[in-house]
Amino acid sequence: MVNLQKGQKIDLTKTNPGLTTIIAGLGWDPVKSGGGGGGLLGGLFGGGGAPKIDCDASVYLLNKDGKLAQKKNLIYFGNLKSPCGSVRHTGDNLTGDGDGDDEQIHIELARVPADVHRLVFVVNIYDCAKRKQHFGMIKNAFIRIINGANNNELCKFNLSEGYEGKTSLITGEVYRHNGEWKFAALGEATMDPGLESLTRRFV
Amino acid sequence: MISLAKGQKIDLTKTNPGLTKIFLGLGWDTNKYDGGKDFDLDAVAFLVNTEGKAAGDGAFIFYNNKQDPSGSVVLSGDNLTGAGEGDDESIKINLATVPAEIEKIAICIDIHDAATRSQNFGQVSNAFVRVVNEDNGEEIIRYDLGEDYSIETGLVVAEIYRHSGEWKFSAVGSGFQGGLAALASTYGLNAG
Repeated sequence: MVNLQKGQKIDLTKTNPGLTTIIAGLGWDPVKSGGGGGGLLGGLFGGGGAPKIDCDASVYLLNKDGKLAQKKNLIYFGNLKSPCGSVRHTGDNLTGDGDGDDEQIHIELARVPADVHRLVFVVNIYDCAKRKQHFGMIKNAFIRIINGANNNELCKFNLSEGYEGKTSLITGEVYRHNGEWKFAALGEATMDPGLESLTRRFV
Repeated sequence: MISLAKGQKIDLTKTNPGLTKIFLGLGWDTNKYDGGKDFDLDAVAFLVNTEGKAAGDGAFIFYNNKQDPSGSVVLSGDNLTGAGEGDDESIKINLATVPAEIEKIAICIDIHDAATRSQNFGQVSNAFVRVVNEDNGEEIIRYDLGEDYSIETGLVVAEIYRHSGEWKFSAVGSGFQGGLAALASTYGLNAG
């Protein structure tokens, strides 16, 4: 199992021959506020208790120009299965409670259509503008890739930057290179307030 | 125009008789998604002798020493952000006037302040080097480095070297860490 750093790229199928199905597991924890504490967080939460932050993991199936060939190639809580059937989102976790993956996306690599070259995994905070939430309030965000056949964790990227004030995370991407699949740890963040805005980058 | 892959070597002067002045254009894109810190990538060159060492301090061409003593290798400008299409930095070489003791010219790119800015080449995309015949503007070679790097903070992109009385180009594409000082010391220089 490889722990990745931002910018790192790693072979998936080349070093794991026979790999056909992967699971992208995404997880995060809300920062617990120290109640009444000083600073921005204390003021926002008004004392005590972890805020309920609804993070949503989604994936964009992009063509070789980095664009969505069709709207339904965005897999998210409102569109859980790709038209080609190769990508399946296991559903929306509304609170982020619990250890391990908060949301998972299953991908049958062998069935991904030839015109899909990149799968870009993003995380948004649902309703972040109204709830005044941002990724500075999230810690331990990660994306990991698991071998779907035997549940072996192949690699994990812990997003360790602060991402203060940012509302969308582009965690990583699974992409084709020379007939094989690779994973790149991206760890980029933007100010897009939601999926609609983020999606405009890919159309 | 020939597109090269990492590891490939190709004739310059043998297949382009009369070729003397070449222009190397280096380019890259950064920060695909907004909000990242500026990337300051520096193109540098080392004039290396037959012992594999830089022929003196003047043989390290970088933003504070843009021309070697013979005037054969000249670095243009310092693009601090990488903004803009096409070449971000360029190096001109007059193959005919490179001193006889110089066996090869190593062309490298370093991410300035990579450690402090937490940057590496995995966050840079579409890096390329192209060789243009300055006399007629013809692009002879292009080497797209695309996937040839990951978390490196510097790259030895290519080497232009002598072989049997001719000049050749080698698509090296290998990474190095530690910044320009570390790179310079591998060529025998103390770039303190």
